Amino acid sequence: MSLPRASPRHLERRLDIDALAISCADRLESYLDEEGKSLIPVPLPLLSVEHEAEGVVTLWVDVPRSMAISYTPGQYYMCWNPYDAEGGMKRRDYNSEKPYSVGDIKVDIDRAKMGFTVKDLGRQSGELTRMARGDWLALRGPFGTTFPTPTAGDRLLLISGGIGSTPMHMAAKDARNRLGEEVEIIAVMGFKNAGEAHYIERMEQVCDQLFITTDDGSLGTEGFPTAVLPELLATDPMAIASNSTESGTTRLYTCGPEPMMKVVLQMAADAGIESYAAMERYLPCSMAVCGLCMVGDRLTCVEGPVMDGEWLLKQDDFGAAHAH
Amino acid sequence: MVDLSVSAPGLDMSNPLMLASGIQGANAASLHRVAASGAGGLVSKSIGPLPREMYPGPVCVEAATNVVLNAMGLPNPGVDVFAEMIESETFSKPLLVSIFGGNSEEFAAVAGRLVDAGAKSLELNLSCPHAKPGSRALIIGQQPELIEEVVGAVADAVNVPLYAKLTPNTTTITDEAGAAVSAGASGLSLINTVSALEVDPYVGRPIIGNLMCGLSGPAVRPIAQRKLAEVSLAMRRDEINTVPILGMGGITSGLDVARFIMLGATAVQVGTALVDKDVAAFEEILTELESMMTETGYANLAQMRGAALDAMEGIN
Repeated sequence: MSLPRASPRHLERRLDIDALAISCADRLESYLDEEGKSLIPVPLPLLSVEHEAEGVVTLWVDVPRSMAISYTPGQYYMCWNPYDAEGGMKRRDYNSEKPYSVGDIKVDIDRAKMGFTVKDLGRQSGELTRMARGDWLALRGPFGTTFPTPTAGDRLLLISGGIGSTPMHMAAKDARNRLGEEVEIIAVMGFKNAGEAHYIERMEQVCDQLFITTDDGSLGTEGFPTAVLPELLATDPMAIASNSTESGTTRLYTCGPEPMMKVVLQMAADAGIESYAAMERYLPCSMAVCGLCMVGDRLTCVEGPVMDGEWLLKQDDFGAAHAH
Repeated sequence: MVDLSVSAPGLDMSNPLMLASGIQGANAASLHRVAASGAGGLVSKSIGPLPREMYPGPVCVEAATNVVLNAMGLPNPGVDVFAEMIESETFSKPLLVSIFGGNSEEFAAVAGRLVDAGAKSLELNLSCPHAKPGSRALIIGQQPELIEEVVGAVADAVNVPLYAKLTPNTTTITDEAGAAVSAGASGLSLINTVSALEVDPYVGRPIIGNLMCGLSGPAVRPIAQRKLAEVSLAMRRDEINTVPILGMGGITSGLDVARFIMLGATAVQVGTALVDKDVAAFEEILTELESMMTETGYANLAQMRGAALDAMEGIN
């Protein structure tokens, strides 16, 4: 006997998704512990799916307002689509729970929405990109470390590769919300080509300067983000006095493929700039249980994903390409 | 000054806290990380004949306070990789290597390979289905005759201390304990997780990727204590030869450790407590145990051991 299909898309069409979304957000709030974390996956119906680029979508869900406000950039949620794209439950097609950092947040007076931006990189993430309004997305978390919070006079250099755009956007948006014009934000976003470029408008709204690179030169500067970085680091007036409290601190945050991050972090270290990387590793449990997400002697799930750049550069197992 | 040291076959430890199998412990980096904490000993993730992938997630959730559910699916790098690892690594704490197999031949082969590589003691994870067609409904650990076969085969194959890890999902745990000891186990580990299931009513399906799961954490501690007492009392009655017992199940505090020791455990294992506190849990538990023993006048663990069993003498 097969289990019933219970994805709302496949139930009665007259379901009021908006009302369901609000009651599910309330339910999620009831599971939050004293740290504001849910330790069980709580299903939320998708409100909308926003097209970002070729194979890149943002999945929007209603979340408790408290959860949206307390989110800090770098933290991740374990995201789970409990059904396959047809709403079925064939055992061999089960989708696993995967870590995603939040890409965008919208907070209104009485409700809030979180957007998870997903790129089609294989069967699991591919299933997520094919979801539609009303499908269930279960969230568990938030987990993990966050980027340092900047203060007035600070300067942020944000370097992303591909879908590493999402934590960089939240870092920029959070800094801008907190400090207004009292923080300088410069970002470099690298993509394979113009077709996969995304988040450019979002970043333009919150950054002082934005540079785009593509591997094939179809948009912005040809090459990797590291092509434009030396110039930014060399012209950084605060690089020398990076710890001076008068002029503020310059910090570099990066997220993307490890080989790219390794070069970026080395450039920051050479320029004497504090750096932090949001790491992505095979991360099945998020609770320090399985021990399979280690970098050096640290667990990415609880001692990451945001890790200190200088420390990462000393780890033998940092910097190689990893499968998702 | 309280003496917390423990001596059991293959395990000379500065304190009675061991990392429980299944929590971290699948590779050198993570075992070293736990060895650097307050733990007195280590138990590896269960190692089988071949590499195994993790089940689809969610693999571990806290369904309610102190109610932790998991189904990992015995993910491990396989005996060849793990044996090479222990050949080249030295750990600062005693390492008990947990093993599993589908039948007695597989168990014996995995054990032989690991002992050749330098494993000093083994824990036999008997909570896996038997590979023999038709017997998959029950796990090895629920069938005393299969326990005897597996423990006996491993005892014939290797000459190191063997700890048989028992499941609580059985009618009379003393039957399984007796079978393991009579077949040559030098000690027992109990309990494994309690079989469990949780459903999300909104999506209408179980919330663990594998559907069926095991329950651990403080919710199972009283069950573990009951099983431990039943086995300890059977040993006092000489129905089972007395061997050291490694007790586990929801231990999160020093007082919990004292409870297990007082029910006859030689040492204990800590697993789910790491979900909240990671490896810092060990130091915290030890500090609490030490101050409780100082307050109540115990100089060492031997003085506490079995203290709570006296009141239960004569109970079957």
